[in-house]
Amino acid sequence: MTAPLPESNGKKYDLGFARWVYENVDGGDKLSMCMQCGACSGSCPIGTEMDHGPRKLFMMIRAGMKEDVLKSNTMFNCTSCYNCVVRCPRKVPVTYILQDLGRVAQRLGYAEAKETDNARFAKAFFWSTRKFGRTDERLFSAKYYLSFGVGEAIKMAKANMPVARSLMKAKRMHLGMPHKIKGVKELNAILDKAEEIEKREQGV
Amino acid sequence: MPNGGPNSQAILVVGGGIAGISAAVETAEAGYDVILLESSPVLGGRVSRLNRYFPKLCHPTCGLEINYQRIRGNPRLKMFTMATVAGVSGEKGNYTVTVKTTPRHVNAKCTACGDCAAAATSEVPDASNYGLTTKKAAYLPHEHAFPMRYVIDPSVIGTPEADAIKAACKYDAVDLDETEQTFDVTVGAIIWATGWRPYDAKNLTAYSYELPDVINNVEMERLAAHDGPTDGKILRPSNGEEAKRVALIQCAGSRDHNHLAYCSRICCLASLKHAAYVREQYADADVDIYYIDIRAHDKLEAFHQKLKNDPQVTFHKSKPAAIVEGPDGRPVVKGEDTVTRDVYARDYDLVVLATGMEPSTAGFDLPVTLSQDDYGFIVPHVEDTDGMFSAGVAQGPLDVSMSVQSATAAALKAIQAVDGA
Repeated sequence: MTAPLPESNGKKYDLGFARWVYENVDGGDKLSMCMQCGACSGSCPIGTEMDHGPRKLFMMIRAGMKEDVLKSNTMFNCTSCYNCVVRCPRKVPVTYILQDLGRVAQRLGYAEAKETDNARFAKAFFWSTRKFGRTDERLFSAKYYLSFGVGEAIKMAKANMPVARSLMKAKRMHLGMPHKIKGVKELNAILDKAEEIEKREQGV
Repeated sequence: MPNGGPNSQAILVVGGGIAGISAAVETAEAGYDVILLESSPVLGGRVSRLNRYFPKLCHPTCGLEINYQRIRGNPRLKMFTMATVAGVSGEKGNYTVTVKTTPRHVNAKCTACGDCAAAATSEVPDASNYGLTTKKAAYLPHEHAFPMRYVIDPSVIGTPEADAIKAACKYDAVDLDETEQTFDVTVGAIIWATGWRPYDAKNLTAYSYELPDVINNVEMERLAAHDGPTDGKILRPSNGEEAKRVALIQCAGSRDHNHLAYCSRICCLASLKHAAYVREQYADADVDIYYIDIRAHDKLEAFHQKLKNDPQVTFHKSKPAAIVEGPDGRPVVKGEDTVTRDVYARDYDLVVLATGMEPSTAGFDLPVTLSQDDYGFIVPHVEDTDGMFSAGVAQGPLDVSMSVQSATAAALKAIQAVDGA
């Protein structure tokens, strides 16, 4: 069971947070192996999009900078390409740590975590999964665009029209009724159960 | 003999690099019979392939030459080149060692006149240049070779070329019929000075060692050496142009759990020395050193500081993530600068990977059971009942001066072992 995150009581540097990450975040026990060489952030295909990058984020965790870590966009820009994991000279499972930290930030309700592109995208993706049992490229894209507001959504949809045309040509997107799987209800029951287990394990 | 019996007081030294030579010479000069084995045709090992030593930038040939004279002048020291250990039995004070020699096809009558090389037509990779060049199939390993005697490559034996080589020799020094031989020696102690090999940079897939302008540190030594492939000019292997933008990558496959987990201790200083080579040759050259931390221990820190004060040598605290081929074919080094958090991609004329030292004994089935650590280094000495010792890089990553110290220590311990102390 995951221990609840201790209160920081307004401290900027909270070493309790570092310890909590070591003990509770997936792969966190390997975090102390990090020697700050930078191979992870340098290997990252979208490393320039990240505010901190994994190396600096790990140092911030060690320094106990809880708020700055959980407000970071680094976790949400990770594409899980595993370049960093393969190259890390100390075998730190960088991707796992980032993914789980992202979940922690989400769970604790950090606004930054909820508003990242990836969070919106994941939310739309899950909406489509629950609704149709599969992704409907057209509807879930629309759902994702609309999370930014109607005006922005129209702009984004227009910009992505060439992609949509290519997808249709390749029969990866279609017009008309969305395709549904047979057992939507059963799938939702599975997902509900999974959520229930996750919540139980997190002690929520 | 203090402990009486049939014990032997002779000492076997396996490996004729700087550690083996030092151990053998010290032991022989202390009055003990020594047998020195070297697997290659010449003594000197890796050191003879260095351009200069750090931190004084003096030439290794100088120190080696003094040692060769000490070997020549000492009747107690018997040396066998192209010889390896095939088996060991017995115990401290009484080891029987089976030695296997491979044929050189050139006997002691050789005057190193070079007529055989002139008669040879085929070429073989030049081991003294780490295969960067080729040489004739009848060759002198390098200009300071000791013993100063030619070698005929086994690839030509049995061909008309070999007959032409034999015919060219005025001194009847070529023996094409020489075969592999084994013989036994009895010794009281054995010093393993089997040395190291550079970690294979081909394993560092992200560093694109296959690109012509990405080389390793021992190859850089050859590029800078006057008898190397470029006559000592640091030129780009791809096109022969002067290498004026040079990147030196530290810990290439070292301190890395995917490769060598340990620090080889010499690479930082070797790379600082490489920076000095480049700056000495080209006034307008820029050298970038990428490092995790610079490990310049003890007095070597002064050499580090000297290079740090050079405005054309830049230190980047970063382990590069990848080296890729740029659009113009030049290598591009990519990574994150850990001080500034800048993600960089910089192109260079030449990139040198500071690969670490892997023990020569790693990954081989040895003819004898030795106490080795997780990485294959041979434990210096296990217990008093044991007559096996290790010296030089066989026992762990050491620079030349530390290798010589460890060799002297091994010599003393071996003497104590055969003396029954």
